[in-house]
Amino acid sequence: MANEVVDHGRRRFLTTATAVVGGVGIVSAAVPFIKSWEPSARAKAAGAPVTQSLKKIEPGQQLIIGWRSLPVFIVNRTPEQLAALPKQDPRLVDPKSDGSSAEQQPTYAQNGTRSIKPEWLVMVGICTHLGCVPNYVGEMKPEPFDPNWQGGYYCPCHHSRYDMAGRVYQGVPAPKNMQIPPYHFIDDTTVQIGVDAKGNA
Amino acid sequence: MTKPTLLMKPMLLVKRVLPACALALGLLFAGQQAAHAEDDGQLMASGSSIRDQASLQRGARLFFNYCVGCHSLKYVRYSRMADDLGLTEQQVMQNLNFTGAKFDEQVVSHMPADDAGKWFGKAPPDLSLEVSAKGSDWVYTYLNTFYLDPKSPIGWNNTTLPNAAMPFPLWELQGEQTAVTKPGSGEVEKLELAHPGKLTPEQYQQATRDLVNFLEYVSEPAALQRQHYGIWVLLFLVAFTMLAYLLKKEYWKDVH
Amino acid sequence: MANVFVRIGDWVNERAPGLAPTYRKHMTEYYAPKNFNLWYYFGSLALLVLVNQIVTGIFLTMNYDPSAAGAFDSVQYIMRDVEWGWLIRYMHTTGASLFFVVVFLHMFRGIMYGSFKKPRELVWLLGMLIFLVLMAEAFMGYVLPWGNMSFWGAKVIVSLFGTIPKIGPGLQEWIMGDFLPADATLNRFFALHVIALPIVLLLLVVLHLAALHEVGSNNPDGVDIKHGPKGNRWDALKPADGIPFHPYYTVKDLAGVGFFLLIAAFIIFFAPTFGGWFLEHDNSIAANNLVTPAQIKPVWYFTAFYAIVRMIPSAFGTAVWGVLGMFGSIALLFALPWIDVGPVKSIRYRGTGYKVALTIFVIAFLCLMAIGMDLTDEYFPKIFGADIDITLWDNVFGRIMTLTYFGFFVFLWLYTHLGWEKTKPVPDRVTTHD
Repeated sequence: MANEVVDHGRRRFLTTATAVVGGVGIVSAAVPFIKSWEPSARAKAAGAPVTQSLKKIEPGQQLIIGWRSLPVFIVNRTPEQLAALPKQDPRLVDPKSDGSSAEQQPTYAQNGTRSIKPEWLVMVGICTHLGCVPNYVGEMKPEPFDPNWQGGYYCPCHHSRYDMAGRVYQGVPAPKNMQIPPYHFIDDTTVQIGVDAKGNA
Repeated sequence: MTKPTLLMKPMLLVKRVLPACALALGLLFAGQQAAHAEDDGQLMASGSSIRDQASLQRGARLFFNYCVGCHSLKYVRYSRMADDLGLTEQQVMQNLNFTGAKFDEQVVSHMPADDAGKWFGKAPPDLSLEVSAKGSDWVYTYLNTFYLDPKSPIGWNNTTLPNAAMPFPLWELQGEQTAVTKPGSGEVEKLELAHPGKLTPEQYQQATRDLVNFLEYVSEPAALQRQHYGIWVLLFLVAFTMLAYLLKKEYWKDVH
Repeated sequence: MANVFVRIGDWVNERAPGLAPTYRKHMTEYYAPKNFNLWYYFGSLALLVLVNQIVTGIFLTMNYDPSAAGAFDSVQYIMRDVEWGWLIRYMHTTGASLFFVVVFLHMFRGIMYGSFKKPRELVWLLGMLIFLVLMAEAFMGYVLPWGNMSFWGAKVIVSLFGTIPKIGPGLQEWIMGDFLPADATLNRFFALHVIALPIVLLLLVVLHLAALHEVGSNNPDGVDIKHGPKGNRWDALKPADGIPFHPYYTVKDLAGVGFFLLIAAFIIFFAPTFGGWFLEHDNSIAANNLVTPAQIKPVWYFTAFYAIVRMIPSAFGTAVWGVLGMFGSIALLFALPWIDVGPVKSIRYRGTGYKVALTIFVIAFLCLMAIGMDLTDEYFPKIFGADIDITLWDNVFGRIMTLTYFGFFVFLWLYTHLGWEKTKPVPDRVTTHD
């Protein structure tokens, strides 16, 4: 018969072509399934911005509120706590938040106090190591984990430490400063978390 | 190299023929779908098309002006609707959302269900899936067959859904129809427009077509995406099948 | 790079020496007859649909809420709020219907070419078990969206068990765990639908294939290639009419898969409700235990069997006869290898009586389907005039078709047991291939 001889080149070409096209098909078909794990419209609606009054938070006090199922720390920092911040710089991983932590805050909070108004810290209270909620240890007194403690956060899971602006200390497991969410002040005593002044979520 | 050209020719053919076939079959099914409600051949064709965005926008305006007072769309979010209808958040919140709901919340009617039950005998149904359940032709016909009926406790009746509990909310647009009954029996033979409304009969039909169109969109918002992606999936599968077929041909040269 | 694969292969082979021979036995050295035609695609397609149902089903469970209060809403949540949820659900619903399309054709192929006959009785029985479990699986899946058709479908099907004398009513409540389909019913149906029955189904599929590969595939000529001459271009000791399953039937099935997916994708993207056949309109209304839908009927793939229930009247104060008739219609299929004992397998070489009987049987089955779907209610008045007595003619027509359905098996028994069949000579080798 005429076509007894196998055209191996053609066979290989067609096999490869079918495998590639089929592979593309399977990968594309997987996309909707993977995407279905994204937060749904309902979850996004539930994650809408939250508004919080600051009137009852005394200096030195922290309030924890929920936003997108995340704990958000709101702290009224005392002048002493604020004054201690620059002194921590040599001991921090990324004191100016422009290195490994550049993405950890909106640009309007990329400053020495990591906030819009110096005294008000608004921060997602999730340790950047493995996601625990660090404890607020606001008093400036020697602690077992740090004899020079100047106030800040101490994570109970793996002992990561942060200062009063959520900046991570050197020599702990956490790699980055804690995250500052988009937020803005509606008026002097009301803050809205989840959206900034320009309306960007 | 002759192989790539071998593939190209059927591909070109398929690119033209396939969408045409898809469209034809789609129309076939659309036609079938329309005829499903328990009709006796009396339903009017709604002629609605969810691809007509302007019509969807007009329909949404009608819904939020005349229907949302009693009927909710509890599965529909304002935000999704804005995206699909090509409206901005501002347009939706100012012109359509009168209930004070947030942009990404669902469309809930103003009326407390308990009161509604008291007023109408039963609570007005949610309309999210009305067209899925009844068909667009049925809803269209229903909206065109209200008439004044002195025997009805609410003053209105409907030939598509006799003794409907719903008063006719669009009367100021359509006007008032009255029934011409068959002599002898009380059976309604046809409806006549006794007092014209704000719209001409043609305008009213277009308005109800828009409204039905909107409700059709609302019953399955994914239909827009579905049809959009569908063409590409079919084209891809045609290419794959061609290749697999050529591969089969090639291997089966061994088999005598 | 290739070297790496070889070394991984060797590594695995050293530790699991049985894997490579198993692969060869079922793929490269499984010699299938070379004359498979169009009808032989449906087996592999059934497997494809099964995989689709499992994958899409797993993803649906991630957002579905199996409670009477939340089920209906959660389906709309999937359709609207979950990204691509609509596609995953339509793949599942379309897959369910196409599963039955493919399985019906696969079964018909088996009947037509005598694939159930010796030595493949076990393959047939396992296949019938798959069909039975598939029907249970489909029914329970149908209840889950908790629309009004789901609810009333559940009620009617469960009531079938209530017709059994004495134990029926108690059995019915036991199945539902309540006095109506309710939360408890939905919960247990969900568990069975997503865990128990799929496991059984998978096991049966493995057994079905294992049993098939023991005896080898039948073919459109009904010739047993193992008894024919030996020696083909791959192996001197294997059947001359056999070709290795891989690559020849894998590439052929792949083309079939492409074509099948084309049809499936068209339905999924352009006609997911399929005019109310695959997804019924009344199921867009949430379950309501006070209002029965105007037309209560099962999904299309159950309608033939359901019509038999309707066509058999109650007698001696019990409705169990219709239910017996329905289960009997399926039981007869199980018994087919012992009802049809004709020596010739393929319809190509069987007597005229068989060809006529099978044609009539298919027509009867399709007519029963039409009756079950209430198409007769719709079309009889259009064909015979509006003033005919629909109920009467529906019953007359339906009963004739029911008798025809059962008559097929009676005829086959007589035809083959009493030696009435005049067969044509069966060739030694397969006659065709494409």
